[in-house]
Parts: sequence; structure tokens; C-alpha cells
Amino acid sequence: MIALCRYQLSLLFRSHRWIAPAVLFALGVFGLGGAVLPRGAALGQGLAWSALILVPVEAWLTRSMLTAEPAAARACVAAAGGPRRTQVAALIAPTVVGAAFGLVGIVWQLFRLGVPRSVGANVIRVGKLFSDLGGGLAAGLICLLVGSAVAVLLNPPVIRRPATAVLGTTGAVVLALAWNGSPANAAVRSIGYAGQERTWPAGVAMVAALGLVVAAWAISTQVAARRDG
Amino acid sequence: MRLDNVAKRYGFTLPWVVRDVSLEIPAGGLVRFEGKNGSGKSTLLRVIAGVSEPSRGRVTGRPVTGYVPERFPPALPFRGRDYLSHIGRVHGLTGAALASAIDACLDRLGGRELSSVPLRHMSKGMSQKVAVAQALLPGAGLLVLDEAWTGLDAPAKAALDEAVAERLADGGSVVFVDHEPGRLAQLDAERWRLDDAHASRVTGDAGPDGDKSGAEVGDAGEQADVLRGGGQRAEPEDAQ
Repeated sequence: MIALCRYQLSLLFRSHRWIAPAVLFALGVFGLGGAVLPRGAALGQGLAWSALILVPVEAWLTRSMLTAEPAAARACVAAAGGPRRTQVAALIAPTVVGAAFGLVGIVWQLFRLGVPRSVGANVIRVGKLFSDLGGGLAAGLICLLVGSAVAVLLNPPVIRRPATAVLGTTGAVVLALAWNGSPANAAVRSIGYAGQERTWPAGVAMVAALGLVVAAWAISTQVAARRDG
Repeated sequence: MRLDNVAKRYGFTLPWVVRDVSLEIPAGGLVRFEGKNGSGKSTLLRVIAGVSEPSRGRVTGRPVTGYVPERFPPALPFRGRDYLSHIGRVHGLTGAALASAIDACLDRLGGRELSSVPLRHMSKGMSQKVAVAQALLPGAGLLVLDEAWTGLDAPAKAALDEAVAERLADGGSVVFVDHEPGRLAQLDAERWRLDDAHASRVTGDAGPDGDKSGAEVGDAGEQADVLRGGGQRAEPEDAQ
């Protein structure tokens, strides 16, 4: 499994297909994020923003990976490693890259917005820092999984026509961000605007995102093994 | 390994590409599939190689497998050796064993210089050598060759013939499709014909037919020991 993941990651990097999503992430977090969030913004809001950007970035990375490998090349690897395991590796690889982007986003927000301090005394509020970071990590993971699930369900091998796949993925990403029933939306609002808006608890959003990603990966793997070629 | 009533189609509403194929591929066995273009040979080979799961039926006892696809794509962002290393690692090879397996396969096909050539820049013949090399890497087990000889130069073709003979002698098995009627004629291949999505065993002196002599092939098929609808082979074989 490690060899399969290594092959897929290598394919993603060597094909340069990770660059466009990386630019989107950089523009979203470093560029647009700077405009949206003032310097004095709370750390939680910065982490919420970074998590939000991960949804389209992870969806794009996943589409890039799922369209990177010619069918005959996949066949050679699948003969060696099994079609299901090979497909799972192709789904893990962009998720690993997306997770790395997410961590970069968290570190950036920490540097830019600073750790939470108590007013006046200028003492670091350790408890608040950890709860912000925990919330940011959870929201990032939820957004990562939602981005993956959306792209996996709407790209090859499940949806093969490029026009349908691209339009469908774009629409689903917008929906995942904007619709208040989406786990990604709930996660972002719960840490960005804690206490101000009613959303699902983070735990429920996490379970929903995990369920979604497991279902999406299972469907993609099934289709890859059965309806190939 | 064996196939039991294997059937394959690429969607619920699509026609069956192959149906009711039952056969046993013993250790040391060489199996050739024949049939006209689009008769399902490549699909059946993909199922045998484990690239694709059957829609119905079962494939059991498949050993380590190397597969050469019909058309190997040069559109991968790797150099020859990097690509072979990836495939070798998927087969569980590492370190010195991996390096020597790659060297042995490339030397055998006369393509050591392909190590440093990017797959994108390879000619048809060069990338076909890489395709064959990646399938030979495990050095044992099942070899599935879908017109693997096409595009190879004469020495590489001979080297592949030799590799097949060696694999059989070592107790591995080889399944192949090729449009050249005389391919591997010196080895005793069990011949199967695909027609109308069904597979039938070709026995006796039906003559090498390939795809060129449709009428003769039809006659041969009539005389053949036709096993349809999940027929079993008559003679006992050692299962792998």
C-alpha cells in the first residue's frame, strides 16, 4: 500500500498537476485571506478561513490525481497491486497533499494573527490557544474530507465526461461551502463565529464528513474495479 | 488458477463482452486466446490479470501477476528506471533486489539505456520495452501478454519468447493474445477462441489462424471441442 501511495504521489508531483491547486490555496489564504481578515482578527476566524479554502483546493487536487493516469498505466499497476488498493492509493495521495496545505494554512494564521493574549496583561491564553487550534484542525480535516468526497463522486471513474465532471464538481464545492446543512459550512462557522450562529456541533459535522468520504471512496473503488476500461 | 463462469460487461445496460468462461490455468501452462478484433480478448485478459473484476463468476488462485496492456501509454511523467522502480516496489521488491531485477529485465530486452529516458520521449518500440520489462519484474507467477510483441525489434521479440519459455519452465504460467499466427508456435499452447462473447477450446490441428483467415477459422471452430456455458476442461490438470 505504501508503494502504491508513493507511486500515486510521485505521479501527482511529477505531472505538475498539484501546482494549480497550490496557487489557488496560496491566493486564497495569503492573498484573499489578508483582504478578508483584518490584522486584529481572532485566530479562530483565520483558521476558519484556511479550512474553507481547503474545500475547493482538495477537490481540485483530487480531480487532478484522478485524471493523471492513462488507463493502460493504471492497468499495469492494478495487475501488480490490485485494482481496489490502487484506487484507494489514488484517493489517499491528494488527501495527504491537501492535509499538508492545511497545516501550512494553520501555521500561517498563527504567524499572521498571533496567539490569543489576555487584554492588558499580555499573557498568552494557553487554553484558548489550544481550543482554537483544536477547532482549526478539526475544521480543516472536515473541509479536507468534504472536498475529497465531492470530487471523488463527480470525477472519473464515477463521472467520466469532462464537462459534467468539472461543472458538477464546481457546483458541489460551492454548495459545500454555502449551504448551511453542509458539514464544511458548519465546521467553518462553528470556529469562525463561535457562539454567534447556530450550527451543527463539530462532532456531528466530523461524523457526517467521515461518512461522506467513506461512501464516496467506496463507490469510486467499486467502479474502478468493475467498470474500468 | 481458475476462472469459474466468468462474465464481464462494463455497465448494467451494456452488452456482455465475455460470458460463461470457465478455464483452468495450471502451473507451467501456456494459454492463447484467439478471435477477431473486438471479440473480448483484451477484456478477458484484463480479468485474468486481475486488472478488472468480473461482473459475474469468480477468479481464484491468481499468483503474482505481470500484465502488458495492448497499448502502453508513454504519457507518464517518469524516466524509464523510475517507473520500473515504482512497479517493482508495488510487487514488493526493494533495494538491491529491485535494482538487479530492473537491470536484468532491461538487459534482457536490450534496453539498458532506457533507464534515463523520460517515458514521454520514448518511441513506440522503446515504451513497449518498458511495458514488457515492468511485467517481467516479479520473475515468477502469471504473465499476461496482450499483443506484447507489437512494436518490439527482432532481438527483443526473441528475448520475450525466451522469457515466456523460461517462465513456463520455472512453473509460472503465461496467457497471451497475438495477431501473429506463428507466435510461440514452438511451445505447446492451449488455444481458446472467443466468439460472440463465448470462449471455446480449440483442439487438434486447427492450424494457426490469427485473424486473417476468417473462413478457415470458422471451420476450425466447428471441429473444435466446443465448451460453452461454463464447460470444464476434460483432462485433469494440477491446479496452481
